Amino acid sequence: MDIGALGIYVCLFIGLYFEVFLLISFFEKRPEKKSANLPSHYPSVAILVPCWNKGATLIPTVESLLSMDYPKDKLKVVIIDDGSTDNTFEAAQTFAGHPQVDIFQKQNEGSKYSALNFGLAHSHSDLVGCLDADSFVAKDALLEMVKAFEDETVMAAAPSMKVNHPKNVLELMQSVEYTFGIFYKKMFDNLAAISVLPGPFSIYRRSLFEKIGGFRKAHHTEDMEMAFRMHANGLKLVNVHTAIVYTNVPKTVPALVRQRTRWSRGYLENSRDYSYMYFNPAYGNFGMLVLPFGLIAFLGGLYSAGYALWHIVSYIVTRFTDMWLTHIPPHLPTPSWQWFYINTNMLTFLIIATLCMTLTAVVLGQRIAKTRLSTLSFISYFALFGFVAPLWLARAAWDTVLSRERGWLV
Amino acid sequence: MAWQKYSLAFIITAAIFGTAFYIAQRIDAQRIADIRATEENISIDILSSETQFDLLGSLDCSTIAENPVLSDQLNDLASRLSVAEQNLGSTNKEVIQLKQQYSLLEIKDYLLLQQVSQKCKKVKPVFVLYFYSNAGDCPDCSRTGEELSYLRGEYPGLRVYSFDYNLDLSALRTLVALQKLNGPLPAFVINNRPPVYGFKTIEELQALIPELKTLASSTAATSTSGF
Repeated sequence: MDIGALGIYVCLFIGLYFEVFLLISFFEKRPEKKSANLPSHYPSVAILVPCWNKGATLIPTVESLLSMDYPKDKLKVVIIDDGSTDNTFEAAQTFAGHPQVDIFQKQNEGSKYSALNFGLAHSHSDLVGCLDADSFVAKDALLEMVKAFEDETVMAAAPSMKVNHPKNVLELMQSVEYTFGIFYKKMFDNLAAISVLPGPFSIYRRSLFEKIGGFRKAHHTEDMEMAFRMHANGLKLVNVHTAIVYTNVPKTVPALVRQRTRWSRGYLENSRDYSYMYFNPAYGNFGMLVLPFGLIAFLGGLYSAGYALWHIVSYIVTRFTDMWLTHIPPHLPTPSWQWFYINTNMLTFLIIATLCMTLTAVVLGQRIAKTRLSTLSFISYFALFGFVAPLWLARAAWDTVLSRERGWLV
Repeated sequence: MAWQKYSLAFIITAAIFGTAFYIAQRIDAQRIADIRATEENISIDILSSETQFDLLGSLDCSTIAENPVLSDQLNDLASRLSVAEQNLGSTNKEVIQLKQQYSLLEIKDYLLLQQVSQKCKKVKPVFVLYFYSNAGDCPDCSRTGEELSYLRGEYPGLRVYSFDYNLDLSALRTLVALQKLNGPLPAFVINNRPPVYGFKTIEELQALIPELKTLASSTAATSTSGF
């Protein structure tokens, strides 16, 4: 076995270990079913909607917030136009004079955290939420989230995210990915190791910010840094799988790569800032499992993609060189379908096992979030993800090595 | 910290790895058994042909000439051995043993063909004894293997006997000595003419085998093999 293949086996072992660990967690503590119980009380809630050039989606986003099942006098929507250059502010004016909506305009400071802190300073409520201006909440999402805060120790809660009306293959691919995310975020909750409080509809107890401060720039991933900082301070954050939020996702490969590069880069940079938590039992499963695995998954994904690319390129170069040297006319090899010629080495079975585990996680994610993915979504995911994910992994690694600043808006 | 859960996950993952290893081993063992069975069948076929030849002599050359079918079986066997060598490695004892047996079958088929062609004048075989090495000292050998596979696909009547030059087999050493091979690999002996050494393009190979023109051409190429 060559040393390159040995690395692949190591990556597969770690990947399988992680998936097995999450499955054990699932069977240990299955997610509770949604109950019809209402909250014992209704705390006041302000939902911050920071937006930069979201004129096209701001109105339906705010309308979805205003139509939620929640006492009107307890819910406030705070729109923060973060220096948009399109018609965002005009779109926001649709809600001018609405008793539940406050509208602000500020200069863009190059990252979302400043808009969130601006909103924090201009709102007064027991709970503070945020919602990206291209996401839409289910009617009962806030009720479900508020129930989680009946536990006085809970300081923040993250929802289940689904892709909003996926149509093209890239969106369908992401719909599977998000469903997989629903599963593993719930399992991270079981392990008290949630690693991110996403922009779409995470809710915070206001006293949290008094304890540990407001949002930080954090390499344009303030939602991730906040989760890291909460773990560093021993604060409790949970996942509310029954609170559903629908989000628009990138429709093109360049847009997706830009978004994921920012996320991946944020993970690497925040990991460096909080490196003292790695393999530190004081931070529980977050320090011992989730943080190290995230980094290993990044490096392993990059390594596996590089290994596969090297082999594909080597094969193509060899074929062309052979054809050029031998003068054999171009011809397609005749594939044989006899069992004897099917590749059945150990690696094949391990890849099948990993794919089965992933599929199981996606199916469980479907059950948790009461959603159903189409066959085309699964085909898109298994056919595309392996090709597009290495693009952002490589770009994030490249940017980190060169300390290149790409900004939030690109 | 739930150390028990960490340990249990490790044990289950290791068990999955163990199961994958076991299944792959079982399938490889099945492959070896399959190759061995094929070699035994070919061995019986060769023995049958030799017996048939001894019984009929040159009295019924048409029957003999119409049934030189071992070429296809040997080609198929070569492809299977190539797969087994890729999966298990060229140093695997069972692979080496199977290659030795395969080489012996090739030599026997070659000798039978010589006998038939001497007695039956109608039978004019076109054959190549091809000597290669996959020990890393012959970068052109895999390309030459591709060329011969291509020619075999183009001319189904062409018989190619491939021999791993480094195989530890006394019969092969005798064949090498008889053919007076002393140059670099790859080496070819075409229709018992003096050996030719070194890499050749497909046109050069075709020029070295003018008898190809007498063979029926096929447009369907067959799969390639390192043997």
